Amino acid sequence: MSKFISAYYHDEEDLIKGVRQIRNQGIEPADVRTPFPVHGLDKAMGMKRSRLTRVAFAGGAIGGLIGFFFQAWVFTVAYPINFGGKPFFAVPSFMPVTFEMTVLFAAFSMVIAFFIHNKLGPGAKTIIYDEQVTDDRFQILIEADDLDEPEQQRIEKALKEAGAQGIQLTS
Amino acid sequence: MYVSPIREPLIKGNKDYSQVTRDIMAPMAGKPSKYWYMGMALAGAAALMGAWASYETVFNGIGTWGLNKTIGWAWDITNFVWWVGIGHAGTFISAILLLFRQKWRTSINRSAEAMTLIAIACAGFFPLIHMGRLLLGFFIFPYPNTRDLWVNFNSPLLWDVFAITTYFLVSLVFWYVGLIPDIGTVRDKAKNKIRKAIYGFLSFGWTGSARHWSRHETISLVLAGLAAPLVLSVHTIVSFDFATSVIPGWHTTIFPPYFVSGAIFSGFAMVLTLLIVARKALNLEDYITINHIESMNKIIILTGSIVGIAYLTEFFIAWYSGVEYEQYAFFNRAFGPYAWAYWIMMTCNVITPQLFWFKKIRTSLIATFIISIFVNIGMWFERFVIVVTSLHRDYLPSSWSMYKPTLVEVGLYIGTLGLFFTLFLLFIRIFPVIAIAEVKSVLKSSGEHQKHAHHE
Amino acid sequence: MEKKYYKSLEELRIAPDEFQNGEMLGDKKSLLLMEQELKQSTGPNRRDFLKLFGFTVASAAVAASCEQPVRKAIPFLIQPEEVTPGKANYYASTFYDGNDYCSILVKVRDGRPIKIEGNTLSAVTGGGTSARTQASVLDLYDNARYREPLNQGQETSWEQIDAEIMNKLGEISGRGGRIVLLSPTLISPSTKAAVDLFKNRYPGTELVQYDTTSASAILKANELSFGKAFIPAYHFDKADVIIGFDADFLGTWLSPVEFTKQYVSKRKLHEGNKAMSRHIHFESGMSLTGSNADKRIVIKPSQQKAYVAQLLLALSGSAAENPEIIKIAEELSTAKGRSLVVSNSQDAETQLMINAINELLGNYGNTLLTDVHLKVRQADDAAMTKLTEEMAQGVVDGIILYDVNPSYDFPDREKWVAGLEKTSLKITFNSVKSETSETANYVCPDHHYLESWNDFEVKTGHYSLAQPAIRHIFNTRQAQESLLKWAGSEKDFRTFIQEYWQQNIYQTDLTGFVSFWNKCVHDGVYVSEKKETPVPALDISAASAIASTNSVIVADDSYQLDLYYNVSVGSGKHANNPWLQELPDPVTKICWDNYAAISQKLADEMGLEDESLITINKLGPFPVVIQPGQESRTVSVALGYGREKGGKSAVGVGVNAYPLMGFAHGSRQLQTIGASIEKVNGKFRLARTQTHHSMEGRQIVRETTLAAYLDNPKSGNEIRDEIKKHLKTIYPKKEYAGLHWGMAIDLNSCIGCNACIVACSAENNVPVVGKEQVLMAREMHWIRIDRYYTGDPENPELIRQPVMCQHCDNAPCENVCPVAATTHSDEGINQMAYNRCIGTRYCNNNCPYKVRRFNFFDYTNADALPGNLYDTEEMTVDLRKLVLNPDVTTRAKGVIEKCSFCIQRIQDKKLKAKIENRPLADGEVITACAQACPSQAIVFGNLNDKESKVSLMFADERNYHVLEELHVLPSVGYLTKVKNTNV
Repeated sequence: MSKFISAYYHDEEDLIKGVRQIRNQGIEPADVRTPFPVHGLDKAMGMKRSRLTRVAFAGGAIGGLIGFFFQAWVFTVAYPINFGGKPFFAVPSFMPVTFEMTVLFAAFSMVIAFFIHNKLGPGAKTIIYDEQVTDDRFQILIEADDLDEPEQQRIEKALKEAGAQGIQLTS
Repeated sequence: MYVSPIREPLIKGNKDYSQVTRDIMAPMAGKPSKYWYMGMALAGAAALMGAWASYETVFNGIGTWGLNKTIGWAWDITNFVWWVGIGHAGTFISAILLLFRQKWRTSINRSAEAMTLIAIACAGFFPLIHMGRLLLGFFIFPYPNTRDLWVNFNSPLLWDVFAITTYFLVSLVFWYVGLIPDIGTVRDKAKNKIRKAIYGFLSFGWTGSARHWSRHETISLVLAGLAAPLVLSVHTIVSFDFATSVIPGWHTTIFPPYFVSGAIFSGFAMVLTLLIVARKALNLEDYITINHIESMNKIIILTGSIVGIAYLTEFFIAWYSGVEYEQYAFFNRAFGPYAWAYWIMMTCNVITPQLFWFKKIRTSLIATFIISIFVNIGMWFERFVIVVTSLHRDYLPSSWSMYKPTLVEVGLYIGTLGLFFTLFLLFIRIFPVIAIAEVKSVLKSSGEHQKHAHHE
Repeated sequence: MEKKYYKSLEELRIAPDEFQNGEMLGDKKSLLLMEQELKQSTGPNRRDFLKLFGFTVASAAVAASCEQPVRKAIPFLIQPEEVTPGKANYYASTFYDGNDYCSILVKVRDGRPIKIEGNTLSAVTGGGTSARTQASVLDLYDNARYREPLNQGQETSWEQIDAEIMNKLGEISGRGGRIVLLSPTLISPSTKAAVDLFKNRYPGTELVQYDTTSASAILKANELSFGKAFIPAYHFDKADVIIGFDADFLGTWLSPVEFTKQYVSKRKLHEGNKAMSRHIHFESGMSLTGSNADKRIVIKPSQQKAYVAQLLLALSGSAAENPEIIKIAEELSTAKGRSLVVSNSQDAETQLMINAINELLGNYGNTLLTDVHLKVRQADDAAMTKLTEEMAQGVVDGIILYDVNPSYDFPDREKWVAGLEKTSLKITFNSVKSETSETANYVCPDHHYLESWNDFEVKTGHYSLAQPAIRHIFNTRQAQESLLKWAGSEKDFRTFIQEYWQQNIYQTDLTGFVSFWNKCVHDGVYVSEKKETPVPALDISAASAIASTNSVIVADDSYQLDLYYNVSVGSGKHANNPWLQELPDPVTKICWDNYAAISQKLADEMGLEDESLITINKLGPFPVVIQPGQESRTVSVALGYGREKGGKSAVGVGVNAYPLMGFAHGSRQLQTIGASIEKVNGKFRLARTQTHHSMEGRQIVRETTLAAYLDNPKSGNEIRDEIKKHLKTIYPKKEYAGLHWGMAIDLNSCIGCNACIVACSAENNVPVVGKEQVLMAREMHWIRIDRYYTGDPENPELIRQPVMCQHCDNAPCENVCPVAATTHSDEGINQMAYNRCIGTRYCNNNCPYKVRRFNFFDYTNADALPGNLYDTEEMTVDLRKLVLNPDVTTRAKGVIEKCSFCIQRIQDKKLKAKIENRPLADGEVITACAQACPSQAIVFGNLNDKESKVSLMFADERNYHVLEELHVLPSVGYLTKVKNTNV
């Protein structure tokens, strides 16, 4: 069970400033929690662009291929049947299902990846340090397990200077 | 961020974030009002009628309907297409409007999406119940079986199966992913243990971490990107049921665009019908403002006009094609025994929406409410006209006949309406009807919000 | 169930002993018993019944063939001759119901007659059948049949009833009382012989013949003309010009199947035939025959005599003022000896003039034979009237009713019934409950004809035989056997017939009688050289005299009545046959009711519309149908409806119109003048299978005139080349390697007799749905005959087209089925997999021909959910189920069905050819509809074989496909209808 120094803001713009400031002083926040997606925060925290889009693409591609070739296999190999004089390999007829399969697989693969990646999901074990966070508070968390006294004070000071409020040690 | 001075704020009233949270969660708190109970009772009764009608259909046969040797589809498929159409607004709003960065969507997308899901469920009911042998309905899925027999991928009905299922699942995911942060909020605001536990479970352990948020943003965007073409594809494929056939009045290449715009048309009408009531009942006037109503009305004018043009085009093509069967089919629509249905459709879908050109009307709640109802009716009749008047007089006059619905068919329709409202009423009690986080994220840029209002 | 099952077997184990006592094995009782038990027993029992049923029949056969008792209940442990389980046998027999005659083959599957086919060996009907003939197999399984002899309504044994009856008869004839045997025209020589035996035993017995559909005026006229009451043999196949006066010879007149065959042989234009007969028809209501005429002239019933008179005058050189008649006279005189003038008038004088006309035209000896007689409808109406009088006076002591039902169909019912009550001894042979038989003291139920031995002489020298195709189901006995028994003879009727034939029909030849007899039984028919004694030449002076005094055509303004028999229930004898009741009328397309057909004029005058009600001479109310081509003040009503006793489907359907018949000139009158018609409030819904009567100017049924055809064979069909030019496709056309089945229909040959519809229902187990469902447009017929009117509604032309599944090679229905329940076979057949069908009805919607039928309910009791069962006509009771064809599955609720090109017949013949290791011959596979057709309008075969009949017809310039422009590539082709209207 790790300890954190937690501090919060009331306004996203102050938060972004604050984050920038402390990072300039070499203090890396373990996590920043906000009630809604704050634009520019990811830049301020120096996060990389998510790669979930690639998962979506892969998923879609697989779905599409499965869709098309399954139909082709059924009509030409497994059980060729004459429907209204159409050829067995009736490509136009395969399009709708192929398309739907693509979309389905893309969406689901991506969403599943999202949950796994974030370790979120039904009954996921996460700790909420401040219930206001999902309402109107913007919270910064800094790891404080192996910090000695002075270091800890330095961080808290830095936070105060960065306009943070309610600075405290949580666990 | 720049706020256009001429544009009205999207969210009225001087609100801060927690105010927003409280306002939107208010309807979920405490005991439901007596109006809610009355609504529930009414909807429940209607749903029961549907249950009775379903029993009649399955255990006494489709013969309890008004169909005959010539007319194999009538109310069943009419209702199916109508519901699918209604199910288009939600995803359209949240997906396409998101891609177009229409901020005003944030106040309505949640409820619209919920409505979509319920509508699709209602729609899906009809292809099932209309089967002569419902109990063998599973034949429609391509599953390995001892006969080594698969399904017919040439059949538009089969495409429907895939389209509707995909649309439902993707919409569901899209909706739920957007819902998770708000469930988190509900969880954290919950006082009693059980409630907390349940919402905690449903929130998938949402923390509001910045990393999660940024990924959340990404997938929302990509899902929107996927859902947008999906929305368009669904009604396109539904329209194939008719467009790929040989029946005059069905075999029409204009159907896909015409059906899609029709769907959005009816979808928005239904959203309006619901929200105009909801915003009052749940006093969310500050969030769902006249501007929202007006913006939707504008979309109604657009789609309504497209539909109108489609109607006229059909007639022109019928004449221009020189195909006597086609020509007769359309003549018969306008002047045949079912002309009354045709003219109801025309009035409701083509004429009434045009009233929205007047700002007075498109900004009046009453007018909007009435017209939205009109559109709902008109769109139902559009499908009825397409399905029944095309079938009842096709190629060989010897087989021409007439159709009259039975109580069972009416019951099925009323039943789905009941189901629809039941589920919607439950939804407004269980989940926040407006996307809290999304509203907060646009509050600054377009709310009447003084910076740091709450700083001392 | 189990218990009962074995109980029945116990019954069977007793059989051997009974067998020793000369009793047939598989005692008749046991059969009944089983049937009754199964009735009581709940749960699915059809199979068990069939099992036992099959066994009894088998054992009967065993007993008959090899003299050995069967001790175990293992069917066919000892294989009887000719019987292979699951393989159908065909037995030659004859259908004769007192009105219509038809030589037939009976298809027997595992001991059950399940289908009637035409006997191609017959020189009379030549393989053709009628709707009634086709439907007669269902009467075998009629629920309203008597199952035991009845004494005063109490079940009794034959021994007792014989004893009682014989001593009663003896007592009556002993004291010189009168016994009357009342029967329809007997055309069975042996039966007549049996009757004579009976007469000898009981002096004072008199045979009175009573035909509901009588020709007594013709008989009387011929008596006057030739001194002999007979009906000549007609030859429509030798007539180039045919003039009909109200004689529905294609539908119900004298010998319709025979006449249809002859008539059509002169109408076919393919196979190199370039000539065509010309047919002009005078009538008041729109009849089947009139609707096929090249020229139809609407007259009042009261005017027929005058028109005939004028024609006679015109032909005999004197002046006639009616222009029509003058033209016709000219046409006729160009066809001397090659024309035929017929009339159904019930007025002997008119018939006398008809005779004179034919004489003047030299038709006797050519199209009319006096040395060959038609033996049906020999009854003299006067005799029946006389009998009624006598009975009313109570001078008749005993009456034996054989296959007659005067309490229902005699016009003066009250009088007849009163007389019947005065008659002390009333014996009936009726096998089905009827108004008359229910009042008899003794019911001695006759076998159904499929259970009987019989012989017939329908035309002079044209003999045919009937043999049992099944052991009698109930405890019945053949009427002739009863007569013989009471006459003191112990012979069974089979031996009796055999002996009669040996003495009277068999001409000594080398092969000997046995082989002769066997051949006759096998073929079912035998033609001898026998000719009638020649008649003196006809003196037309009498007729001319009548003509000169009756030649004024009076425009009488009174309402007139025109009663007729339709092709379905006919005289009413077959009213309890759901197949016939659900058969749409060839003209009005109405089923399950009779109605009063009136003209638009009359409707306007009286403020009537379709389905409003009127009474005729205080009788009714009759629902009204406004009939194009109806004479303005004439009302036409079909007889044979409104039965009061005799089965669910008969009772209460329609109104009994017999009381409207008049009696004049010594015969019952179908047409009466001066009827009183009153409007009654209210409406009555009529079940109509076709409600739109115009072709909307579409090229669906194509027609032309003979002249146009002769100078351009494509005429009427020109549009086809245009259409062909526009046919484009992105997909390559599928090729069919071996067989590619197709059907060609000659619209010139089809007269719309409906035989095909019943044949199809019988062959393919097509369910009967009942009036309510037909009202909802849910009839299930796989083949229908579309009927359209063209031209002047006062006297329109009527055009017909049989439509069944067109088996399109690019079938729209196949593409849209999500579960692949309907697909295309390698032989070009559009096939339905009922078990796979989930009932989306999408195929039905997408069928341009609307030939697919949906099972809205469970009409056949084939569905799992009991609530789905819908059977208003008792078609799913065990007895009726015996008619089902085991080669075709019955369809459950919720599935689509449609014409399969009789796939089971195709497979059967393919298998046969395979076993015999040879290719299928052309014409070997015949669909049920084609087999039944008396005019061979339908030809079925392999399109890949360029020499096959169907290919040749497809190659004909007249051939076209309906809705060809849709490029669905139908496998059914139609030959343009050609009318000979260019004179």
